[in-house]
Amino acid sequence: MEILRNMWRRKFRTTLTIIGIVIGIFAFTVMGSMALKLNKMIAGGKNYITGQISISPRGTDFMSGTSSLLPVDTLAEIAKVEGVQAVEGSVSLTLDAPDPDSVSMSFGQPATINSLDPTSGFENRNWKKMAMKSGKMIDKDSAVNDITIGITVSLDKSWKLGDSVDIRSQKFNVVGILEKTMTGPDSYVFMNLSKARELYVESNPFLKSLKEQSESAGKISDSELAKLSPEARAQIVQAKSFKMEDVSTSASVSWKDGVDADKLSETLKNDFKKEISVMSPKAMGELIDKASATMNAVIYGAALLALVVGLFSIVNTMVMSISERTKEIGIKKALGASNRSISFEYTLEAGFIGVVGGLIGAALGGMTAYLLNQKMASQGAEIFLLEPSFFIGVIVFSFVIGIVAGLVPAARAAKMKVVDAVREL
Amino acid sequence: MEKIVVKAIGLTKSYKMSKTNVISALRGVDIEVREGDFTAIVGPSGCGKSTLMHILGLLDRPDGGTLEIDGEDFTKLKDDKAHKVRAKKIGFIFQGFNLIPTLTALENVVLATKYGGVKHALRKAKAVKMLEMVGLKDRMNHKPNELSGGQQQRVAIARALINDPTIILADEPTGELDTKTSMEVMDMLKKFNKENNQTFLIVTHNHEVAESCKKIIKLRDGKNDN
Repeated sequence: MEILRNMWRRKFRTTLTIIGIVIGIFAFTVMGSMALKLNKMIAGGKNYITGQISISPRGTDFMSGTSSLLPVDTLAEIAKVEGVQAVEGSVSLTLDAPDPDSVSMSFGQPATINSLDPTSGFENRNWKKMAMKSGKMIDKDSAVNDITIGITVSLDKSWKLGDSVDIRSQKFNVVGILEKTMTGPDSYVFMNLSKARELYVESNPFLKSLKEQSESAGKISDSELAKLSPEARAQIVQAKSFKMEDVSTSASVSWKDGVDADKLSETLKNDFKKEISVMSPKAMGELIDKASATMNAVIYGAALLALVVGLFSIVNTMVMSISERTKEIGIKKALGASNRSISFEYTLEAGFIGVVGGLIGAALGGMTAYLLNQKMASQGAEIFLLEPSFFIGVIVFSFVIGIVAGLVPAARAAKMKVVDAVREL
Repeated sequence: MEKIVVKAIGLTKSYKMSKTNVISALRGVDIEVREGDFTAIVGPSGCGKSTLMHILGLLDRPDGGTLEIDGEDFTKLKDDKAHKVRAKKIGFIFQGFNLIPTLTALENVVLATKYGGVKHALRKAKAVKMLEMVGLKDRMNHKPNELSGGQQQRVAIARALINDPTIILADEPTGELDTKTSMEVMDMLKKFNKENNQTFLIVTHNHEVAESCKKIIKLRDGKNDN
C-alpha cells in the first residue's frame, strides 16, 4: 500500500520509468506471440512429417520449386519392401494459378492443393483424423470433384459447405471445412489425387505437352504404327508411355507396427538410391528443430534486447530515485528502519513498476497482435497466437525484471551508512 | 535520585579526511543524563556537538570510550542491530524538521510506529492522539509543504515521542524558527518533560534556549568544558 502510494506521489518519475518497461514488454509480447504461432505451426508440421517417411524423386530442388516425378512402378516396388505398410503418391500445387504480371508478398502459407488417395491405405502415424468444423474429409466414397478445405481458405475465399467453386477453371464441391489447426492444413485444399494430377499437368507446359502427345499417339492403331519408320515408331511408343499415374511429385510411406521407421528409411535409401531421396522421420524432425531454433533465437533475441532496455530504464530510475531519496532513507533509518526493510521496500517498488509496465505493455502488445490478426485473417494469414498463459507469464516476468532491476539500487540504499544519510538532513 | 538513562565515558571519534588529514571530533567526552533531565549541549561550531548526538543516537559508533543507554552497553552495537534500539529507545528532532515530503503529517507519525513495533491496527489511532497532544489534529491530513515551520516541528515532535522513547535527542530544534515559534516549541518540549517525565537532550546555539534548560553541558574542541 505504502509502495503504491509512494509511486503515485512521484507520478512524473514513475511514469517515465514505466514507459521504458512498457516498450520492452510490448515488443516482447508482440514478438513472443509471433514466435508462439510459428512454433505451433512448426510443431504441427513436425508432428505430421515425423509420422511418415517422405519420399521425393531425385532431382527435386525445393528452392526453385522444380521437381522430377515418381513413376508408379517405382512406388509399387517401394510398397513391396519388407516393413512398408502403404505408399501414397501425391501432388501439390498452389490453389491459384500464379499471375505472371503481378508481384505480391504475403506472410503465412499460400493456399495449396494437396492430393489425397483414400484407396492407398496410407495413414500418417501422428495425424490419423482431422477435426472438422463442418462436413467431412474426402474419402474413398467421395466424388472425384469433392474437396475439403482449411479454415483460412474458407474465410479468404468465402467458400462455405456445399458451395460449388471454381479452381483453375474446373468445378469442385466443398464437402468439408476443417477446424482451425493453427498449422499448415488451415491453408490446404484436400482434393482427390486424380483431379489434383489433372490440374498439375495442366499447369505444367511440359507435362501438358506430353499428355497431349500421348493422347494423339493413343489414336494411332497398331497397324498404322507398323507402317511407320523405326524412328517414328519409337517416338510414338515413347509418347504412348506417358501415364497420369506416373505424375507424383512426392510420396509418403507408412510402416507396419513394430518396424523401426529410421531403419526402414535407410533400406529405402539404399535400395532406391538412383530414383528417390528419402527423409526419415528423425532426419525431418532434426531439420525442423534446427530451423525452429534459429528462428526462435532471432525473434526472442530481438525481443529480449528491447526488454533489456526496459530493465535498464528501471535500474537507472531506481538509482536516481535512491540518490534523490537519501534524505528520506536517512530519516527512516534514524526512526529505526532496518537495512533489510529499506532494501525490501525499494526492491518491491521496482517490482511494482515492472508489473504496472508489464500490464500496460502486455495489454498494448496483445491488442496489437489481435488487431493485426484480424486484418491478416481476411488475407488468410494470422501470424500471432494469443494464449492467456503467455500473457500471465509475461506479467510475472515483468515483475521479476523489476525486482532484478531494483536489487542493486536497493542494496545500495540499504548499505547507506546512517550517519552519512543523516548528514544529508 | 532518578535513574541514569544515558551514560558515556571517554568518547572519542575521529574522521579521516585524507591519508594525512585526520580530524578528531571527540577527544574523550563524558556525559550522564538522568531520567526526566532537560539538558542543553552548547559549544562553538566544530566542538563536536553533532558528532556526540550521532553517537548517543546510535547513528554512528565511537572509536573509543563506552556508551550505555538504559543500563545496556551499546558501545560496539552494529548498525544492523542498532536500528531496533533507535526505534524504541531514541526519539530524534532535527533542525530542518525532516518530515518525509510525500507523506501527510499523520502518515509521518504513523511511520515511526511501524518501526517501533506498534501493531498495525493501533498505529493510526496512536498517531492521531499524539497529533492531538501537539495541537495538530485538524492539520493531520496535510503534507509538510502545507504546514508552517512551527507546525512541521510539532509533527516532528509527535513523531519523536510516539514510541515513548528513553531519550529524545533534539539537534537545534528551533534553528529554523522565529523567536515566537521557537518559544512555543520549547514550551511544548518542557510540557512533555514535566507532565510525562520525558528526558530531553538538546543541542543548541541559542542562549535563551540553553538558559531555559535545567542543565547545560558545555563542549569545546571535542572535550567537556564544564
